[in-house]
Amino acid sequence: MSQVLHPIEQKLLKSLLEKQNLTPEDLCEKTQLSIDQVRRGIEWLKFKELVQVNESEKNFVALGKMGNEAFEKGLPERQLVNYLKSIDGFSCEMSQAKNQLKNEFSPAIANAKKNGWIEIHENRILLKGYHDTTPEERIIKLIASKNPMVSSVDEIGDKSTLDSLKKRPEILNFTFTKYTTVNLTEKGIETAKNISSDTVDVLVRAIDVEAPAPTVFAARAHPLQDVINEVREIFVGLGFTEIVGNQTQSSFWNFDALFTPQDHPAREMQDTFYLKGLHAKNIGTKNQISNVSQVHKKGWRYDWKLEESKRLVLRTHTTCVTIKELADNRPEEARIFSIGRVFRNEKVSYKHLVEFNQVEGVVVGKNVSLRDLMGLQREFYLKMGMKKIKFWPTFFPYTEPSLQSMVYNEKLGKWVELFGMGIFRPEVTIPLGIKNPVLAWGGGIERIAMLKFGLDDVRELYNNNLGWLRNVSKCQ
Amino acid sequence: MPVVTLYFDRITSILGKKISKEKIVSTLPFIGLDIEEETKNYVNVEYSPNRPDYSTDYGIASSLQGLLGIKTGMPKLKIKKGKDVIIVNPSMRKIRPFVTAIEAKNGKLDDETIQQIIVMQEDLHNGIGRRRKKTSIGIHDLDKISFPLTYTTTSKNHKFIPLESSQEMTIHEILEKDETGIKYGHLVKNSKKAPIILDSNGHTISFPPIINSEQTKISKNTKNILVEITAIEKNAAEDTLAVIANILQDAGFELFSIKISGANNSTPLLKPRSMVLDAELVNKILGIKISIPKMVSALRKSRLNAQARGKKIVCTIPRYRTDIFGPMDLVEEVALGYGIENFEPTIPESISVGQKNKITTTLDSISSVMIGLGYSEVMNLGLVSQRILYDYTKRDASKIISVSDSKSQEHNILRDAILPGLIDTLSRNIHEPYPQMLFETGTIFLKNNDEIKEEIHLACVSARNDVSFTEIKSVLQSFLKTTFGLECKTVTSSNSMFIEGRSADIFVNNKIGEIGEILPEISDNFKLRVPIAGFEIRLTGLY
Repeated sequence: MSQVLHPIEQKLLKSLLEKQNLTPEDLCEKTQLSIDQVRRGIEWLKFKELVQVNESEKNFVALGKMGNEAFEKGLPERQLVNYLKSIDGFSCEMSQAKNQLKNEFSPAIANAKKNGWIEIHENRILLKGYHDTTPEERIIKLIASKNPMVSSVDEIGDKSTLDSLKKRPEILNFTFTKYTTVNLTEKGIETAKNISSDTVDVLVRAIDVEAPAPTVFAARAHPLQDVINEVREIFVGLGFTEIVGNQTQSSFWNFDALFTPQDHPAREMQDTFYLKGLHAKNIGTKNQISNVSQVHKKGWRYDWKLEESKRLVLRTHTTCVTIKELADNRPEEARIFSIGRVFRNEKVSYKHLVEFNQVEGVVVGKNVSLRDLMGLQREFYLKMGMKKIKFWPTFFPYTEPSLQSMVYNEKLGKWVELFGMGIFRPEVTIPLGIKNPVLAWGGGIERIAMLKFGLDDVRELYNNNLGWLRNVSKCQ
Repeated sequence: MPVVTLYFDRITSILGKKISKEKIVSTLPFIGLDIEEETKNYVNVEYSPNRPDYSTDYGIASSLQGLLGIKTGMPKLKIKKGKDVIIVNPSMRKIRPFVTAIEAKNGKLDDETIQQIIVMQEDLHNGIGRRRKKTSIGIHDLDKISFPLTYTTTSKNHKFIPLESSQEMTIHEILEKDETGIKYGHLVKNSKKAPIILDSNGHTISFPPIINSEQTKISKNTKNILVEITAIEKNAAEDTLAVIANILQDAGFELFSIKISGANNSTPLLKPRSMVLDAELVNKILGIKISIPKMVSALRKSRLNAQARGKKIVCTIPRYRTDIFGPMDLVEEVALGYGIENFEPTIPESISVGQKNKITTTLDSISSVMIGLGYSEVMNLGLVSQRILYDYTKRDASKIISVSDSKSQEHNILRDAILPGLIDTLSRNIHEPYPQMLFETGTIFLKNNDEIKEEIHLACVSARNDVSFTEIKSVLQSFLKTTFGLECKTVTSSNSMFIEGRSADIFVNNKIGEIGEILPEISDNFKLRVPIAGFEIRLTGLY
């Protein structure tokens, strides 16, 4: 495509085509642009390789305080001459001249003498003659004419006069400055020649709309949190109220209350995180403890120990929160759910984390059934956009009957195991005074997130790789 | 979960009827098995340890026969009265009190059957046997044994040739040198004496629960088998025996009882149990309306016996079904026999309006404010490493909370702060464009007088070349103001993570957190080369 040039760029190019080697200040003058616009334009052109910028150093000179005064009123010696000219006889007493010229009296006398304009006799000054313009005056005038720009010493020439002015205080200020000059490159010359004059003053400037713009990243929630929120909204939509509970729990609520015997393999340290040396002080009411211990002794035939049930664990499921809520309130009808972190002492791999998020819902009701549980499940998956589901029998220590749901994943083209479900065993509900059947289901949210984001390694969800977090699309 | 290998040719011959591979594979999930791997010749299935009868292909085939309608009702265990005896010495009472046993005669063992039995033994040891603590199994060549046997105690200097060994070893040596001895030695450590089963010639049969003798090892040539189970609980011993007895009967052996005498032991009967099931309960729990005969037929398909008695059903449950505790378990058996795929899901009418928890709605607001301030959310685990939480950040580790026996060194400490994890997150993103502005909310854990307290915290970090205390303080002020309408004060403090003079405590009435610029030394530990400022505050108590 043909290069799109900003009006500033066009003006600069045209000026440079007329005269090369200009300073930004020169360009200001020629283009009537501000110095900022010129500098910006030079940068753009440099980037496009249309101009070349050279750095040089130069001596500059400007008028000092006395120099400005001299420009307005004349140098002291000129003032003296003018004064003498105005007096009859072209002479005066020294004291008269001193009154007239004040501080400038001394340089006036000295320089007028040097120029051969006056003679002094017995305290009287006598005008001998004068030049119309001295070289000093010529230089001051030249410099003043360029004001406020500074003048290059080289341009002024007449080095000896400059040197003599340099000796006089505050007439001239010299500065040593770095400066840049701008040249057109060959490409620049070509481009400048092709600029037609009528495009220079277009009001709305065109930009290179096809060029890539810089990347910016939106601040955002973690994608896994988005999935958690989506799941939560579905539960709320289905009429469920959210409960929360601690991540550290007594073994009593995590296992015993759920009819998991104290010698069950799941309770061993290979599978469960126990908090080193920490025990719960109060685990439940007297009734709850004694009823649960009875059902263990009767059902599993072993010596149930209170101490074991007090050991603190990192909850292995959110069911401990659910069951405590039900045991403490014994509702006859309820729809509650919870979402939270649960822990398993497993080797971290692409399949397993030591910690993940679980969602769990329960329905308590006089007439609720296994088919209702399946229906709620189907409803949940439909809302998550999963249409094909089926159920298989399975086993959990605290539910009977127990089912597991399989969901057909279109992307993978296969059935994937998702939530487990069941009806709480009587051995769980009766000792805790829960009379009606409790439907329960739940599972890991990470698995859903993995399907959603097409991940095959669960660790990626917690790597916090900004490359992924910043770029994965929010609507999947 | 334990895994069993099912060879299609074997399973077909056990089923006694030609069933297609596809039909077998598609039926397996409906008897509660998960398919792990499927090949041309076999399928590996995972079973739950609550069904010890699934520990061999015989037990699985028995369930398949039921569901496929090949054979229904309870498989009958036929035990003939035998003449052999095991005498239990009273000294066992305090060590491993119970033994039970059975003889299986006139059968044949092939390589695959032996393989199935070895896997079964291991699975039963781990599951129902609770890693041999509760029950342990010895399977022997009966023809190498002379009765009566004695179950007694012996000194740990007692010598015999243990399984898979060529020389005699003392019990001491077995516990110190043999792989199994080392693994299970803790089970006999508390006693000076060791349990032992001796035959009438004084030959050692077994050192339970550790190892059998080499002499009685079974092989392809074995025709007659002795199974002995020792246990600390009698019922568990007989449960285990029942599972193995059924399998051996299915494998073509004839069963004979062994008399057990002495010290609270008795001869096992392995009799089925009866349980009454209310038909109404079945229909109510399952949400269906099926007739009693249909229920009876479903129960029989689940390999139980069932007979209608008015509105009730009397069920007979074989001894090996240790998973059946009460009527609810029988309801599930009806469901399985009826066929889970035949249940049409229904939706109960909603009786309530759902609601999020207050903590959730607060965290939602917090997140939206932080995002509005330009910070992105990250999520770290609560179980972290000492290196990140304390060592790299030079934080006080005196109230460290660790978990026992974590399988990962990176996850063995509960976090008491979120900020260290955020710095770690930055360190894993050094190749990503800056600025990096991150926040995290989550649970942290505090220990006080041996009690655990959980709090919800918010932490955020800003990593960029021109980051400053002022910038992060502006974020803090704006966050508190926008979210809670709160003003805060920051008071000069010193903190192991922050630069002296760029470190402050945050007060909203009480101290709620800390803010500052991260020490270059700490950044160095995390291999970070960019200046970082951040804060962490306690949210619990603010809402």
